[in-house]
Amino acid sequence: MSLRTAVVLAAGEGNRLRPLTHNRPKPMLPAANRPVLEYVFDALIDAGIEEIVVVIGYKRDRVQEHFGPTYRDVQLQYVTQEKQLGSGHALLEARSVVDEPFLVVNGDRVIESGLVTDVIGEFEAHPDAAATLGVLEHRDARQYGAVALHEGRIEEIIEKPDTDDYRLINAGVYAFRTSIFAAIEATERRDGELRLTDTLARLIDSGEGVRGVRIDGLSPHATYPWDLLTVTREILARGRVDEPAREQGIWVDDTSLVHDDATLQAPVVVGPDCEVGPGAVVGPDVALGRNVTVEANATVTRSVLDTDTRIGPGSTILDCVTGQDVTLGAANTIPGGPADVRIDTQIYEEQALGAVVADRVHAGGAVTLAPGTLVGPGARLYTGTRASGRIEADAEVLG
Amino acid sequence: MCGIVGCVGRPDETLDVLMHGLSKLEYRGYDSAGVALANGTVEIEKREGELENLETALEDIDLGGSVGIGHTRWSTHGPPSDRNSHPHADCEGRVAVIHNGIIENFQTVKDELVAAGHEFDSDTDTEVIPHLIESALADGASPENAFRAAMERIEGSYAIAAVFAGGDAVYCAREDSPLVLGVDDGATYLASDVPAFREFTDRVIYLDDGEVARIDAEGWSVTTLAGESVDKSVHTVEWDAEETGKSGYDHFMLKEIHEQPRALRQCLRGRVDELGGTVELEELDEPPRPTAVQFVACGTSYHAALYGAQLFQDAGIPAQAFLASEYVTSPPPAGEALVVGVTQSGETADTLSALREAKGRGARTLALTNVVGSTVSRECDHVIYIRAGPEIGVAASKTFASQLAALNLFALATANGGDRDGLGALRDLPSEVQAVIDDSTAADIAVEYLDAEGYFFIGRGLNYPVALEGALKLKEITYRHAEGFAAGELKHGPLALVTENTPVIAIATGDGELARKTVGNVKEVEARNAPVIAVTDGQSDIERYADHVLPIPETHPRTAAVLANVQLQLFAYHTAAQLGRSIDKPRNLAKSVTVE
Repeated sequence: MSLRTAVVLAAGEGNRLRPLTHNRPKPMLPAANRPVLEYVFDALIDAGIEEIVVVIGYKRDRVQEHFGPTYRDVQLQYVTQEKQLGSGHALLEARSVVDEPFLVVNGDRVIESGLVTDVIGEFEAHPDAAATLGVLEHRDARQYGAVALHEGRIEEIIEKPDTDDYRLINAGVYAFRTSIFAAIEATERRDGELRLTDTLARLIDSGEGVRGVRIDGLSPHATYPWDLLTVTREILARGRVDEPAREQGIWVDDTSLVHDDATLQAPVVVGPDCEVGPGAVVGPDVALGRNVTVEANATVTRSVLDTDTRIGPGSTILDCVTGQDVTLGAANTIPGGPADVRIDTQIYEEQALGAVVADRVHAGGAVTLAPGTLVGPGARLYTGTRASGRIEADAEVLG
Repeated sequence: MCGIVGCVGRPDETLDVLMHGLSKLEYRGYDSAGVALANGTVEIEKREGELENLETALEDIDLGGSVGIGHTRWSTHGPPSDRNSHPHADCEGRVAVIHNGIIENFQTVKDELVAAGHEFDSDTDTEVIPHLIESALADGASPENAFRAAMERIEGSYAIAAVFAGGDAVYCAREDSPLVLGVDDGATYLASDVPAFREFTDRVIYLDDGEVARIDAEGWSVTTLAGESVDKSVHTVEWDAEETGKSGYDHFMLKEIHEQPRALRQCLRGRVDELGGTVELEELDEPPRPTAVQFVACGTSYHAALYGAQLFQDAGIPAQAFLASEYVTSPPPAGEALVVGVTQSGETADTLSALREAKGRGARTLALTNVVGSTVSRECDHVIYIRAGPEIGVAASKTFASQLAALNLFALATANGGDRDGLGALRDLPSEVQAVIDDSTAADIAVEYLDAEGYFFIGRGLNYPVALEGALKLKEITYRHAEGFAAGELKHGPLALVTENTPVIAIATGDGELARKTVGNVKEVEARNAPVIAVTDGQSDIERYADHVLPIPETHPRTAAVLANVQLQLFAYHTAAQLGRSIDKPRNLAKSVTVE
């Protein structure tokens, strides 16, 4: 039996990626210059999936509008998870539209098609298994959902174990038969959430066959804003870029205008409708989304500039992630990491992060952002501002 | 206006293909629908009402045949009824005909046919055609020649298709109404519009006026009315079938409102070099700097034309906008003016007539349209495409935004080059529209005024056309009374209508004189206790006098009008949704009006 259908879980916000997720869900954040979800769909379609069910919830309009009813001629069927009550709960939303064995992947992580193919192959070799999951080696399994694998069978699955005994983690790519829905329903909620991993643990405990297959080809997980820079670097290194290559490692869309006196340093990708002015230096490890403007003599290094970002003349931008419709004026300076960054209550030390500038931030001239600054959506930074730490949404900052 | 489809070469699926096509064309008209399939005989099934009435009727009937035609109707002659629905047949039921358009000499022809003994079933002009064909067949003509003879006899505008008992082909002809052929291996299609068969093929042939086509399973041939062969080129359409799906939105209109950022990006794509200060419109070889411009358009496109005229006036070029139907009635002197037709579909009969009138008097013409290969694009000297993608909702939304953006490009390319601020504002527009959509509270405000006696929209300058468009949108989809006024005109009469039960929606952007004066007008209506909804970028003090505010980002005055319009679209949409209206297919309206 072959798998033709995949369910993609794309309903979550991604709290730890705030403030970038103010207007869109995590799967729509950029990896290089395309939404993460596009890479997920690409991998599924390249592996032969013919129908994709997308579970959407938080800011679902953004997913529907971006993709519409099909992607690369494969039909997308949307189901809505109104409240985000866990991965198991999300999957149950797809129950009414799935009537044969199917694949499940997370929509917020870039994957390679080979990985999907491996899980499909394992499922087809052992079609009676209640579940099949992809696992991968990880040197720090303690941070993740760890698993113990013995002769192809998963013998244990445990969230963030406190011992060093585990070397494998759950990759979040599953093959299920439709019986999984009943198993999810029979699972107890924990902290109000219905989790897929709890269902799997239950299946393992009750002796149902849960298969595991070792895979590789998973990009780093984007949990925190700076991870988007790492993921982008990886994608550019692998050349998973749609734009035509001008030379090795330099991809520029045909509709973009790069001035003859501008310099692009590989690897770098320039999306559609961009403009790069004279004297500007863009790259290495830079992704410009759609309709981005880098004005004259600006320098952009190791950064992801999302759709409609505008960098004023003479600005210097390092290790920076911008959201959509960000305008930085003339002679702004974002000198780059390392920095200690606070997310919720935790401090993450020595992260290579210049700044995260969320959607629709508007900065005047000569604004400087200290390493690790997080600027909330819609904030206005007036000319000459020196900012650091966290700036709230819609804040007005002077001086 | 009506929608027609035809199909040959899908033996077991003819009916399914026709019904699929009709469902895609339902936006063109929907007070009745019907199909005819030919095999040894001709079988017809038709029903008054929406397409589902026909679907229900067909569940109990087995219609076979590999040659078929179908029709959705929007009444122009005779009230909607089963009897007046298409297809129409001759006396013997050997010929079935569908028709979109108007036959102007039908009464004369009908009188002759009745005198010759033909019996008519319906009140329609269309029914003369099968009877004309019948009499030619009786005189010994072949089906093709009988069809031609009928075409030669009728006058008016039409896209017509006919099938014959025992025939293996569909014959069709066009005069002033849209008709396209779809070509695939082993099957051939025809329709008023490409979405009808886009799922089956992307290769199309656009017929021109005065052409007759014969399609069968093996292919197609196109000839003139006189029978001379015509070379036609086969085009490939770029968008895919599913672009016309609703993708999870409640209505096409809401989907199309949300699609505006993307539509605007497509419109601007590859055309703007902001840093270099230039615009490139590849369709215009050498953009002429016109000495004067006359815009002709209808409905929403007329509002875009009013906006376009102001852009040229601001650049010091005399420009006026005319309602196309009035332009034809009393044509102004065109002189050296460039005459610009604004029409989404490219098939609007009134606009085509106005352009022909202008062309007949030696004027150069330019079309601003959404549809590649449309009649207007072929008849005008120049064409600019707005690239909004297919629009299904009858009430125009994204195409208006794209028209405004394209008019800016046109003005920047020909009249005021080098305006970097204007170019930058255009490039910022898609994301600003997205910001308005993301944050709009129009739905909450709309709920408060569902019982209003009427709605008035006011604005000045570039916001005046937006006020007109806001009112038109509300009328179209809510069936409520709404009017748009130039804010300065309010006190010259309409103020008498203003009460505490008539919300006034005021658009004021910027902090210049126009905004200050509009704020003055708002004070006038506030003094009459009318609720005020202000659409503003926050630069004037209009918020002080407003009960509600629909904010837009601060931007260039030209693009502010586009943003304000998005708020008005959402206000109209949510009002209609609360009232439970048929938003995508409002009563009595059709998407593009191909009759004058």
